[in-house]
Amino acid sequence: MIGQQRNPRLVTNAEREGSMKRTEWRARARRVAIGATAITLVAGTALAQGNGGAVAAEGEVGWTLSSVYHILAAHFPVGLWVTAYLFILIRSFSDSEFAVRVQRAIWPVVALGTLAGFVTYGLGLTIYPWSAITESPLGRNHILLATWTLSYWTVMSVLGYRFRRHLFDGAQRWITLALATIGMLVITITGTLGGSLTGTPSLVTKSLNWIGWNVYMTFYLPTWMLLVFAAGAVLLVVIGIVGHRAQAGPK
Amino acid sequence: MARQTTYLAASTAIFAGLLVAAWVTHGTGVVRDDPERNIVIPDELTSTLQVRAAYDGERIWFRYRWPVERPAIFNDVLVYQDGEWVARGGEALGPNPEYLTEDRVAMMIDDGSVPLFSRYGGYITIGDGLTTFTGVPETDEERTKYLPSTRTDPNEFEAIRPESDLEMLRAAGQFLDLWQWRSSRSNPIGLGDDGFVADERGGDAGTGPYTTNFDRETGQPLYMFNPAVAGSPALALDAVIAGDVGFDDTYYLSAETAVPFDPTLDWQNGDTIPRRFLRPTDGSRGDVTQPSAARWDDGFWDVTLVRDMDTGNALDDKIFRDGGNYDLAFAVFRNSSTMRWHYVTLPISLGLEQSAQLVAERIEPGSEPDWTQPWTELTTFYPGQVTWGRLTDPRLHPGAEGIEARIPAAVRHSEEQLALYGVQMEFAEEIRTQWIWTLIASLGLIVGLGININLLMRRREEQQ
Repeated sequence: MIGQQRNPRLVTNAEREGSMKRTEWRARARRVAIGATAITLVAGTALAQGNGGAVAAEGEVGWTLSSVYHILAAHFPVGLWVTAYLFILIRSFSDSEFAVRVQRAIWPVVALGTLAGFVTYGLGLTIYPWSAITESPLGRNHILLATWTLSYWTVMSVLGYRFRRHLFDGAQRWITLALATIGMLVITITGTLGGSLTGTPSLVTKSLNWIGWNVYMTFYLPTWMLLVFAAGAVLLVVIGIVGHRAQAGPK
Repeated sequence: MARQTTYLAASTAIFAGLLVAAWVTHGTGVVRDDPERNIVIPDELTSTLQVRAAYDGERIWFRYRWPVERPAIFNDVLVYQDGEWVARGGEALGPNPEYLTEDRVAMMIDDGSVPLFSRYGGYITIGDGLTTFTGVPETDEERTKYLPSTRTDPNEFEAIRPESDLEMLRAAGQFLDLWQWRSSRSNPIGLGDDGFVADERGGDAGTGPYTTNFDRETGQPLYMFNPAVAGSPALALDAVIAGDVGFDDTYYLSAETAVPFDPTLDWQNGDTIPRRFLRPTDGSRGDVTQPSAARWDDGFWDVTLVRDMDTGNALDDKIFRDGGNYDLAFAVFRNSSTMRWHYVTLPISLGLEQSAQLVAERIEPGSEPDWTQPWTELTTFYPGQVTWGRLTDPRLHPGAEGIEARIPAAVRHSEEQLALYGVQMEFAEEIRTQWIWTLIASLGLIVGLGININLLMRRREEQQ
C-alpha cells in the first residue's frame, strides 16, 4: 500500500501549478476587464453627451471647442500608431538585430498613441454639439471609425504590454501583422473622414466609394447583421476560452 | 502550438470576415419607400441640366436641356367611368407610373436683393411644415415654399408678417422671380409661366396659361376635343398611359382644338379628356413665353424660354440689365414627378457679358440666338426633406456656423453629398438608432477580439 501512496511533494507541485494558473487567469481576466471597461466608458461618455442618443434640439448650444485642437492633437496618435505599424512590419519580416531593437519600441509607441488617441477623441467630441454631429452622416461615420480605431488600438496596447517580444514568436507574428494591418486600415479611414468633415476629402474618400462605401452615407448595419456581430463577439470569447483551456490542459 | 495557432488564425479570420460582411451589408435595411409617410426615394439621386443664355438688350433667352427617359405630355385628365368623369393623375408621390404628371423646369432669379440666396439657393425657401413633408397634415391650401424674411419666425409657416411689411419687402426686392415651363399645362401652346417666391410661391398678376376643364355643378368637362381637328372627342386612356399619344397627335385642349363638351355623345369607359384647358396669358404672368413649343427628342427635353429684360413689372419680376450679375437656381421635374420630387441645383451666378458661372451672350438687337456657345453643365440632385430651420440650427447641423459665416453651400458640399444627406434626413431617427446599435455591436466585437487574442496568445516559455 505504501507504493500506492501519493507523493506529497508531487501533489503539492501540481496543486501549486494549478493555483498559479488560476491566479494568472484571474490576472488576465482583470486586465481584459479593465480594458473593456475603459472602452465602454468612452462609448458611454459619447452616448451620454447626447441624452442617450436621442435628438436633443431644445435649449442652448452647449460648450464647444474649436476644431483646431482636435486636428492638432490627431497628429500624435496617427503618427505614433503608423510608426508602430512600421516597426511591426519590419519585425514581422526580419529577425535582424535592427528589427529586434525596433521591436522593443513597439509597445511604448502603441501605448503612447493610444493615450494620445483618448485625448484626441475627447477633443473631437467637444467640437460640435452631440445632437448636431450625430445628425451628420459624415460626423456619424467619423465617430464610428474613431471609436473603432481607439478601441482597436487599446486592444493592441494591451496585447503589446502583455506579450511584448512574444508577439513575434513563431506563427504569432503573422497574427500580429494581420491585426496591425486592420488597425492601419481603420486609422486611415478615420483620418480621411476627419478630412472630409472639414471639407477636404482625399483620394482615400473616393477610393472607399469605389470599393463600396460612399462616406456620405451613414455606416450602419442591418439588424440581422447586428445580431451576427453580437454572435461573433460571443464566439470569439468562446474560442478564446476553449483555446486557452486546451493550451492549459494535459500536454 | 499548432492548435493554438489554428485558434488564433481562426479568430482573426472570423473577425476579418465579419468586417467584410459588415462592409458588404452596411447601409441596408432602413431606406425604403414609405408612402404612408410621403417618402418615395427616386431611383436616380442626381442628374444633369444644361443651360445657355443670350440677350439682345430687349429680350433675354434661357435654353434648358435635361434627360428624361419618357416625356410626360399629360398632367391630370378626366376619365369616363360608369357614367362619371373621374380625375386622374396630376399630383403623385414620386414618379407617376401612368405618366399622368407633367415634366417641368423652373428657374428662380435674384438680383442680389434676397439675403443668402446666392449662397444657398432654394434651401432658404424651405420652411418647416410644407405640403408633402413627412408628418405634415394635409391642408386645403398648399403650404408652399417662402422666404424666411416674410415670417416673424422664419421656421413657422403660419407666422406671416403683416401685409404692410410684405409690401415693404417686395418693394425692397425681397422676392425671387420664378419662371416655369410645363410640358402639359403651358408647352403645347408655346408658353411659359411667370411667378414669384415671396411670402408664398405664386403666379404673377394676370392670367396663367391654363384653367380647369371641369364643371363642378354638372360633374362634367367643360370642353372636349373637336372631332374635326382631333378625329375624336376624346382619347383612349390605355393609349394615353401607354405613351401612344404623341406630339403629332392632338393631345391638348385649346381654342384651336376644343369645342364645348357634349354630354349627349355615346361616351365609353376609358374615354379621356385633359383636365386642363390651355389659353393665352395676359398681364405680368404672361411675361415668360417660348419661341416655339418644345419637343422631347432622343432622351432629352430641350426648352427655350424668353422674356423682356425689363417687363415693367418690377414688383413681380427681376429686371435684367446689360452688364448685370444675377443669381439663379434651377429645378427640373423628370420622369413624371411633381411637388418635392424634383431635382434642384445649387445656386449659380449669371452674368450678362460678365464673368459668371453662366454667361449670357449678347446678340444683335432684334436677332435670335444661334446658340453656338457651349452649354453650362449643372448637376441636379434630389433634395429630400431638408428645411432651412434645420440647416441654421447649430444643435442640428454642424454646418450652421458656416451658414452664420455665410460660407456658400458649394464650398462644403457636392450635389451628390447633398442628395445622400437629403435621403438620410427622411429616415433620420431610424438611421441614428441603427448607427448607435452598430457602434455598440462593433465595439462589442472588438472587445470580444481583445479577450480572444489575450487568451490565445502565448509566451515562448509557456509553450515549452
